[in-house]
Amino acid sequence: MPQILPDFSSSVKLKYVKLGYQYLVNHILTFLLVPIMAGVVLEILRLGPEEMLNIWRSLHFDLLQVLFSSFLIIFIATVYFMSKPRSVYLVDYACYKPPVTCRVPFSTFMEHSRLILKDSPKSVDFQMRILERSGLGEETCLPPAIHYIPPNPTMEDARAEAETVIFAAIDSLMKKTGLKPKDIDILIVNCSLFSPTPSLSAMVINKYKLRSNIKSFNLSGMGCSAGIISIDLARDLLQVYPNSYALVVSTEIITPNYYKGNERAMLLPNCLFRMGGAAILLSNKRREKSRAKYRLVHVVRTHKGADDKAYRCVYEQEDPQGKVGINLSKDLMVIAGEALKSNITTIGPLVLPASEQLLFLFTLIGRKIFNPKWKPYIPDFKQAFEHFCIHAGGRAVIDELQKNLQLSAEHVEASRMTLHRFGNTSSSSLWYELNYIEAKGRMKKGARVWQIAFGSGFKCNSAVWKCNRTIKAPMEGPWQDCIDRYPVHIPEVVKL
Amino acid sequence: MAEVSWICKRTVVSTKPVEAGKFCPLSVLDRIMEHNHVRVVLYYRCPKERKAGESIKMLRESLAELLSAYPIMTGRLLKTAEGHWMIKCNDAGVRMVEARAKGSVDKWLQNFDREKELNLAHWEPMFHKLYFWSTFYVQLTEFEEGGLAIGLSCGHLLSDPICVTIFIKAWADMTLNGKMVTPPLFHRLPRRRQCNETTNPQPFPELINYYKSTLEKPVPVVQAKQTTIKIAFSDEMVRSCIAMSHAPGSPDEPSPTPFQALAGLFWVGISKIKGLKNGLISMSICLDMRKVLGLDKGFFGNCMVYNQVPGDGIEEYELSKAANAIREVVDTMDAEGIMNLIEWMEGKADQFSCLMNGYDLICVDLEHVDSYSAIFEDNFKPIHASYYIEPTVGEGMILVLPSPLAEGSFSRVVMITLPEDEAINLLEDKLIQQFSPTILMMADKKYTTANSDP
Repeated sequence: MPQILPDFSSSVKLKYVKLGYQYLVNHILTFLLVPIMAGVVLEILRLGPEEMLNIWRSLHFDLLQVLFSSFLIIFIATVYFMSKPRSVYLVDYACYKPPVTCRVPFSTFMEHSRLILKDSPKSVDFQMRILERSGLGEETCLPPAIHYIPPNPTMEDARAEAETVIFAAIDSLMKKTGLKPKDIDILIVNCSLFSPTPSLSAMVINKYKLRSNIKSFNLSGMGCSAGIISIDLARDLLQVYPNSYALVVSTEIITPNYYKGNERAMLLPNCLFRMGGAAILLSNKRREKSRAKYRLVHVVRTHKGADDKAYRCVYEQEDPQGKVGINLSKDLMVIAGEALKSNITTIGPLVLPASEQLLFLFTLIGRKIFNPKWKPYIPDFKQAFEHFCIHAGGRAVIDELQKNLQLSAEHVEASRMTLHRFGNTSSSSLWYELNYIEAKGRMKKGARVWQIAFGSGFKCNSAVWKCNRTIKAPMEGPWQDCIDRYPVHIPEVVKL
Repeated sequence: MAEVSWICKRTVVSTKPVEAGKFCPLSVLDRIMEHNHVRVVLYYRCPKERKAGESIKMLRESLAELLSAYPIMTGRLLKTAEGHWMIKCNDAGVRMVEARAKGSVDKWLQNFDREKELNLAHWEPMFHKLYFWSTFYVQLTEFEEGGLAIGLSCGHLLSDPICVTIFIKAWADMTLNGKMVTPPLFHRLPRRRQCNETTNPQPFPELINYYKSTLEKPVPVVQAKQTTIKIAFSDEMVRSCIAMSHAPGSPDEPSPTPFQALAGLFWVGISKIKGLKNGLISMSICLDMRKVLGLDKGFFGNCMVYNQVPGDGIEEYELSKAANAIREVVDTMDAEGIMNLIEWMEGKADQFSCLMNGYDLICVDLEHVDSYSAIFEDNFKPIHASYYIEPTVGEGMILVLPSPLAEGSFSRVVMITLPEDEAINLLEDKLIQQFSPTILMMADKKYTTANSDP
């Protein structure tokens, strides 16, 4: 509710006024056009057919004029069609479902923690408190190397995890779409913390025997928002290469990044990060339009790295004992909030309906001219999108975004349930969330989806998709066997 | 040169999460065994084409599947308000150790002893913070030249050797067929039905007296170094032992069971070794009471009861008298008596801090335990099974086990734990030599071993 009219905020009548205002402004063109068309039709009827023919004959048409006009029309049409960006379609995607034998219940995690960190009981207690409030469930999975007491992650284990996750996701995607390896023109793999030589994209090319003229990219070090960065890169490449398929693989390999020390700020990732990965097939081929699930509408990337505090907010470093881990600073949430504001300032004009943009404009003018004390108007994004996929970085992130964007519990349900069932799977969590919405049968044709992800740096990236065809549930996927149990109530604190 | 080398230690959790807030109480028969633990080792041959680590992976996955039906095994110990032990089913999992051993399983069985065998069944004694102590430990050891050893150790608080064997059989069924033949049942021990007339409790029969006196004894201390030997008796040998133990003057009395005959034989033999002149050494038998109490096959928990066998009147080391004494005691252990005992024990509110098997010579009847039907893969039966009830601090421990040979229903394997010198002397005892049994596991590597069973 705009803060300029606080007195009527509880009035029902105001709700109808607002609805009327929105309807009017969003359909202003229709409202303007209808009377004009009515006027024209009336005029034609009044004049009668004979008069129409007379007017037609009175127009002297030179052959040259006709030729010039038609060339002009054709030229403008060609320029328009050529400069229109190619539509990028999401044909399908597949998420990796970790095996049940990799499950890590809370009690097992805490026990291992206590056995491994026997000299630092305070750190163990800290981990326990984090886990209790984390919003994770009892079915999240860690890779086999982390199950050992003590964990002994080797490069071989990390590669094994990468192979298991990535190949399973790609195999599943190929089965769903009928994609042949030789058809892949662009390959983008993103995995932030594990970057071997040869790269993970080379690993995929080797396994599936992809073409030698493939355009492959491997993005590392870009944090949890790298998934959207990969989509953005794929989109740009698909503008350059016509008639192509782009395979994007988003994952995070947990094995080499288990923090073995006992600094509290660095123990958080151990508690939250879990195994997961997704493979996405994008295309700009015209014939994919009929079977594609989504069309990519916008990608907005915001980078706050210029600010020192934002840059150091998620920082990989060695602790005093020399053990490497990721340090999360205490102002993470504040910085995330600011990055979000930046992002929605850019994306707002692209997606919001005219009514919301006008209101925002009026409040802005009002603040600048009349009274700076007016509260800034937070546009209602629920009018722009049907579904929200907020990166399941942690319970705090989802809570913060729910508050900032004034979303209801149902809007953030996909994010919370993904965090509960799969944990924080980093860049692939957005795909698990999207899959949740589909598995619940809520994805209808024309629905707009907003994927938001945060990442180290500090970045806030968004992608907007429009659903191309209604997606029927039940369906195969990682939620297949448990979707009926969701949504679950996640208590504030789980007593261990 | 270490023959068994560790690969890793990890925790195996069930595939289905356990609902929060589940607790499993422990019965009196469970709680009285607090200071003991059970260790079981089963040996298998493997198909030749098996790659390293493949068997272990297969077993680990089927174990995870199986544990979904055993929340009590993946839970942790906690004390109730009254100070008794119970299990909180917190889904923490069981510990698993994976190891590799040199040579093949057949070669190992020709040259192994107690110490080596216990290396195949990893165990961690209860530590200070019991909430993080796993009650079950599984060790899977792959032999480099072929073969597999499955070792299971658990606190006796949760299960007796028979229960452990039932679990292994369920694991084998799960691996082979993907489902259990006998799903587990978790319930309390049966209660005495209330009679119409108000009866006074039975005036302290012998069983309750024995338990009462044992509970009052101080905790014993280990004295000499113990060792274990393993002897196999073929069907013929056991039959002749039974014939010898049958009391000559009473043909209509039933003949002793193989357990009774063999227990009598060793009771006499060990008493001779220890040099007792007047009567036999004090001995207690330990029997499975599942059939007696009418419990279902899938019952999970302790159901073995100890009772003392009086050996004073028996002189001149008469085998028949010994076996007869044992048989008489076995006959008195009926359902009524056991339920009386359970009721009496439940009435005792204090802790059971003694060792039930820490004073006398203990003979444990495991002859019907079903270890050889735990088949994990088609056509691969266990070739050997060993059981240990630790610690052995009394006069000695004798376990009568079934035999892997299918030749006759009476063949048995006996595992005897005694102080080292007594064990060596026992093998040279004339009475035992009379049957010329096969020695499967020697006390000491110095002695040449006899051929192991095929």
